[in-house]
Amino acid sequence: MSVYALQKLLRDVNRIPERREAYFRSPADFAAGYELTERERAALLGFDVRALYDMGVHGLILRPFTILHKMSDPEYVRALRGDQ
Amino acid sequence: MESCARGLDASGTDTLVLLTSEHWANFFLDHMGAFCVGRAESYTGPIEPWLKIDKREIKGDPALAAEIVETAYDRGIEPSFAHELQFDHGTMVPLSLIMPRMDRPVVPVLFNTLAKPQPSARRCLELGRLIGEIAQNSPRRIGLIATGGLSHDPGERNHGIIDSDFDHRFLAAMADADAETLAGFSRADFAAAGAGAFELLSWVALTGALGGRKGEVVAYEAVQPWATGVGLMAFPAAA
Repeated sequence: MSVYALQKLLRDVNRIPERREAYFRSPADFAAGYELTERERAALLGFDVRALYDMGVHGLILRPFTILHKMSDPEYVRALRGDQ
Repeated sequence: MESCARGLDASGTDTLVLLTSEHWANFFLDHMGAFCVGRAESYTGPIEPWLKIDKREIKGDPALAAEIVETAYDRGIEPSFAHELQFDHGTMVPLSLIMPRMDRPVVPVLFNTLAKPQPSARRCLELGRLIGEIAQNSPRRIGLIATGGLSHDPGERNHGIIDSDFDHRFLAAMADADAETLAGFSRADFAAAGAGAFELLSWVALTGALGGRKGEVVAYEAVQPWATGVGLMAFPAAA
């Protein structure tokens, strides 16, 4: 599939409490329910924010997802700019 | 904001058209249109539990919404429409300050300012013109609020950077009702001022609706803690 499925997964985690719980319970099992490419799956499971962004995940989907991971604003911006 | 609220009360406005932006609140990439007109009997918002605004119900105006959709179709612009929409911060923050009693019905018009390609500024101007004509010809007093912007890049690589030069240029064109300059803002121009600057497409539509009426910049500030250029404009009511 495309980055579409990845963004759908992230938006589901952001917006639907049951999906969010399922993701944090087992990210790998949760990801298996979406048609991700291997690169997408690796970036997601490795919490590689820069890679997710460079693949084309929208900032207003990615940033709420990283907030769920308790990432601060400066950490997030550093990750996107490759400064970390 | 208080001066705008007083202005709204003094204007005798019966109903409001809200030109506003989508933030993944109602739509996703499974179906993304350029514009969506709300035809619901009522709306709720805000969706954000962290926003310090009580969740409210706001009455809709389905008759006016239908007139906007039908007139647009007749004029060669086909917005999508929805009988169910939720309001997010982009709509609820200005509305709660400008119309705190929520005592007038509203018609939301959502702009796709998120997913490429966003509608062109010229197209937004055309949509605004037909809304303005409906307002002019209505026996009721119809108010217009455009919300969104100014320069900001939320969640993106330039998060935190505010382009005040862009903001001042844009506000000056709005104040002068300079439709050609506004229509000339390209996607690249908006993108350079941050992903959130596309929300200004609703302001361009407002200029179309006002048909050459000039306005004043009530306030502008590059608000660093909010990582956003924040501006407020007011336009006089029609005689």
